[in-house]
Amino acid sequence: MSIEIKNINKGFGSFSALNNVSLEVPTGELVALLGPSGCGKTTLLRIIAGLETPDTGSIHFYGKDATERAVREREVGFVFQHYALFRHMTVFENVAFGLRVRPKHTRPNDAEIKRRVHELLNLVQLDWLADRYPPQLSGGQRQRIALARALAVEPKVLLLDEPFGALDAKVRKELRRWLRRLHDELHVTSVFVTHDQEEALEVADTIVVMNQGKIEQIGSPQQVYDNPATPFVYQFLGNVNAFEGRVNAGVAKLGALEVPVKEFAQTHDSAVQAFARPHDIDISRDASAAAFKAQLTYVHSAGSVVRLELKRDDAETFIEAELTREYFSQLNLKEGETVYLTPRNVRFFLD
Amino acid sequence: MAKKSSLPGFNLSLGYTIFYLSLIVLIPLSAVFFKTFTLSWDEFVQAVASPRVVASYKLTFGASLIAASINVVFGVLTAWVLTRYEFFGKKIVDAFVDFPFALPTAVAGISLSAIYAKNGWIGSLLDQIGIAVAYTPLGVVVALTFIGLPFVVRTVQPVLEDLGAEVEEAGASLGANRWQVFYKIILPAIWPAVITGFALAFARAVGEYGSVIFIAGNMPMVSEITPLIIITKLEQYDYAGATAVAAVMLVISFILLFAINGFQWWSNRRLGHVK
Repeated sequence: MSIEIKNINKGFGSFSALNNVSLEVPTGELVALLGPSGCGKTTLLRIIAGLETPDTGSIHFYGKDATERAVREREVGFVFQHYALFRHMTVFENVAFGLRVRPKHTRPNDAEIKRRVHELLNLVQLDWLADRYPPQLSGGQRQRIALARALAVEPKVLLLDEPFGALDAKVRKELRRWLRRLHDELHVTSVFVTHDQEEALEVADTIVVMNQGKIEQIGSPQQVYDNPATPFVYQFLGNVNAFEGRVNAGVAKLGALEVPVKEFAQTHDSAVQAFARPHDIDISRDASAAAFKAQLTYVHSAGSVVRLELKRDDAETFIEAELTREYFSQLNLKEGETVYLTPRNVRFFLD
Repeated sequence: MAKKSSLPGFNLSLGYTIFYLSLIVLIPLSAVFFKTFTLSWDEFVQAVASPRVVASYKLTFGASLIAASINVVFGVLTAWVLTRYEFFGKKIVDAFVDFPFALPTAVAGISLSAIYAKNGWIGSLLDQIGIAVAYTPLGVVVALTFIGLPFVVRTVQPVLEDLGAEVEEAGASLGANRWQVFYKIILPAIWPAVITGFALAFARAVGEYGSVIFIAGNMPMVSEITPLIIITKLEQYDYAGATAVAAVMLVISFILLFAINGFQWWSNRRLGHVK
């Protein structure tokens, strides 16, 4: 284990930012801390870095207690959302900074510094910018320089705080693929914070979903997407349709729809939440008991899939469905039409 | 000449600016030189280079430089405390900084001489270890430091705020100790503002009159400042002599401010500030 986080608590005044959080990050993995803003993910990252101290709990790096170690002794590389480059230094000097501030007996000589900085700048494919100043670079370039600067000190752990949060959508996509490839090359244990589920699902080996200062679920992207452990994870990862209802003796009643649920055979009249992904909604024109009657209110046909918005007949809520373009044109649905919806792969959570 | 701007009214506003500047600044300043030219060369030398006047130049410019330097150190520290920490009463401390701006200088002068006199609160303590402040050049430095403090704080504070704590955290995570963070990251970033604050505090100190004359004691050759010499000459109806001294002060001030600006330009280039 590279990083072991044990029972961390952290409060700001009366607000509890982290509530008894424990987490293990295996060596060489790329882990995403994912959650909405204010869930404590950045606080956790800053505690790992030593930029924040926990109220209780401990941090271990490679089995050694690092809780009391100051940030400059932790050997972590930290990448900030807004780059935090040194404006008055050239790109070269920014990357060289970590080497130049070393005590004399461990500081490499000038030729060695030069060699390593150019090696890193080549790694982030920006060697040609070595003599520029940060304000002359684009956002994506600045973040790559910030990454090179963090890697220059050969950190044991790389920490990235919403590294692509300030970039526009296209650059963000490019950079996160690039980060993934870079990680496959270097294998430095990395933790990155994001609120963008797509980013986490695409880049990370392991996703830690956080909410309100607690960890909701830890798992591979596949696991957290296909098998969300809690209603929160279900709603946070990807689009989802939520249904409220009641369950009694193995039958869930969601509005007009009745579904048998084996696992709740012993449950008596309690509230239940049900979730189904938009691509798990079957649409048909034929009436059936196991379906919601609904009206097609809106069709978004721009994109790789066709997204439909349907209003339920038995409630004031909308259902979102996704169809392939072929299937949609086969069905030849028109806005305003009445259809019948059958959700597949429904997950139930008792309240 | 002027590039086409999308903002209307360039001619009118530039004309007004030049007219206003002439009326308020340039014409009165040129009058100083015109009046000075009514003197013969010998009279001029007599007025501006007598030992008593030369001593006052040394005191005024020397004490102003020392005071502005002290303000650089403590002004940066104050600005630092006010931007980086949250504490009870911070708003009040922040308001206190402006006091030397707001206070009538005569009030400041009287309070300072009351406190630093031999029988004053601080003066009596200093007297026990043999340091006299009131009625000495040291008193002049104290008064000039007092009135110059806000200049450095108010020029450095917004730059520090803008710099943010993130670059410091970045520096620390890269292994820099506190001194290296200050010396290599913070100081280069705030340096232009520090020099601007220094120049403003210095310029203000050179021209200061009200707060100094009470605490200085105004002993000729020892603690008499140049503005007082000018006043004295005026009171003796020696108008040409007064403007001659004023003209010399003006030229020295101009040269020093020019030098400070040159230094700022040079150090900005050396520290790699992007224009």
